[in-house]
Amino acid sequence: MKSKLTHAVLSVFAALAASLLLLFLAAPIVKLVADAGGEGLTRLGSDAELRNSLLLTGITATTATLIGVLCGTPLAWLLARKRFPGRAILAALLDLPLLIPHPVAGIALLLLLGRDSAVGSRALEIGLRIVGSPLGIIAAMLFVSAPLFVSGAREAFAKVDARYEGVARTLGDSPWSAFHRVTLPLAGRGLLASAVVMWARAVSEFGAIVILTYNPKVASVLSYDRFTSFGLSEALPVAAALAILALVPLTLLRALRTDTRDDR
Amino acid sequence: MIHLEHVHALKGRFLLDDVSLRLNAGEFGVVIGPAGSGKTTLLEVVAGLLSPQKGTVTLHGADARKLPPEQRDLSLVYQHAFLFPHLSVKENVAYGAADDATMHEISERFDIIPLFARDVRGLSGGERQLVALARAFARRPKLLLLDEPFSALDPRRRTVVRREVRALHRAWGLTTLQVTHDFAEAGMLGDRAVLLDGGRVLQEGTPAEVFRKPASPYVAEFLGAENVFAGTARDLGEATPDWVDGEPSIYAQGHRAFAFETEGLTFYAVGDFATGVGHAVIRAEEITIARDQTFDSARNRFAGRVTEVTTLGALTRVAIEVRGVPLVAALTTRSALELQLAPGIAVVASFKAMAVHLC
Repeated sequence: MKSKLTHAVLSVFAALAASLLLLFLAAPIVKLVADAGGEGLTRLGSDAELRNSLLLTGITATTATLIGVLCGTPLAWLLARKRFPGRAILAALLDLPLLIPHPVAGIALLLLLGRDSAVGSRALEIGLRIVGSPLGIIAAMLFVSAPLFVSGAREAFAKVDARYEGVARTLGDSPWSAFHRVTLPLAGRGLLASAVVMWARAVSEFGAIVILTYNPKVASVLSYDRFTSFGLSEALPVAAALAILALVPLTLLRALRTDTRDDR
Repeated sequence: MIHLEHVHALKGRFLLDDVSLRLNAGEFGVVIGPAGSGKTTLLEVVAGLLSPQKGTVTLHGADARKLPPEQRDLSLVYQHAFLFPHLSVKENVAYGAADDATMHEISERFDIIPLFARDVRGLSGGERQLVALARAFARRPKLLLLDEPFSALDPRRRTVVRREVRALHRAWGLTTLQVTHDFAEAGMLGDRAVLLDGGRVLQEGTPAEVFRKPASPYVAEFLGAENVFAGTARDLGEATPDWVDGEPSIYAQGHRAFAFETEGLTFYAVGDFATGVGHAVIRAEEITIARDQTFDSARNRFAGRVTEVTTLGALTRVAIEVRGVPLVAALTTRSALELQLAPGIAVVASFKAMAVHLC
């Protein structure tokens, strides 16, 4: 009887705690969309700066994600499949960008890619301006979001039993052939989900971008700029439009994660 | 041909330790051992999926250490099949198939054509194993590596598939290495048996040799021998036993006579054994039971009492106590019924000297 009562009290407490957190997370977004969602969508038609900013955000985030996927996939496979000296250090290094404050990441990138740096000056010599250009935005997005892709992709590869690859090899496949005929299709959903997470993180980045490239403005910088220059009323529609557009990758991610079939 | 010499291979924390085995072209080898003994690891070394740290691996007469799995001309079937879940049954079988004709021939032989359009995730365990076997055969390899490939099949189908595998092995001249923990299966299929435990080869030989002449009491017990006794073996040497005619030179060539003392009993044994402390193994099927003292050629004859009678279909196990020492005999149920065996009945257990294996 006593244990039943304890169970009931704990259940009520757990439900209450979960509801409070959910409310805290959802309420600001719901309020934002409710208050300014309509105007935000209208502004998409009339505000050219907002449209250009969203377009820039989409292009830079997609480019950063493509680079992240291209370079991060082999790295993730290596970390999931191989045991080698320094593997733990490499994994920790990959997590570092997730832990440091993003303005700090921006400063570090500025040191590496700024006009006076070795890389930045060489790039300028061949006509490539990194800081203050879309390249700077891509670099900042890549730095802060690629570790998320590598981490997710590594998990996706680790979930594919290596014996599938082994069987494919004994059936005549080269390592590359086994990878693209077996591993990639089996890890595909996980990789795609990780890419969506990376893309979403890149879209929402502010701290590192604002240090590397204030102009041209990506959406996050634009909403901050409207807020500081014109106040809350001007920032609200932009923020609401961004919140509504964020539902796209979120929905995609959910769809990808609903089917996580496994086979033994 | 598979030839492993002093192979050491590490998989996680498990070590395959100084494993040597030889399987000639066309032979069917069976690796037996308890779970975690290294059977699958051994197959993975042969397949090239795990590189040995030391030792040599020779396949088809060539050094295979530098050969990747795809160049070893083999197929591997895991116990859990590992069918590719993103492909249909047909696509799985066709995955590494030599050609369409072979794929269809094999699929017919394993009766899986009705499954072709099915999603492999919806197959039963037995169906998965059938598809995995078909996929392996469809490649038409020279070497076949099978890891408990019949474990999920029902008994009737297991018999049919086992026969089919053996027939294909013969017809195609394959060299096959199969892992099993079922010694009966090993006896049915294997030309050679390798007993593995803790990553080491405990014994290698024909299944009959391994079964009848286990190298240690552990091997004997693993292989289901129920009468294993610790004691001391004494070479009867010059004292020619009464059942051996002629001079010692005759029995000195591998047919020496021994007396094995254990717990107050003396067993007579004939063979080529070491003297001193060791074990005697007598298989239950080698022991006959009589209700009274009969005179036959058996040199070991002990009066005792039945303690337990257990009937399993046509086979009956009879436990007997001889001066406090337990013996187990396996009889046909019909014999047990005719002898009217029951606990407490006085009987005589007898077995030939050749049935006593000392190790």
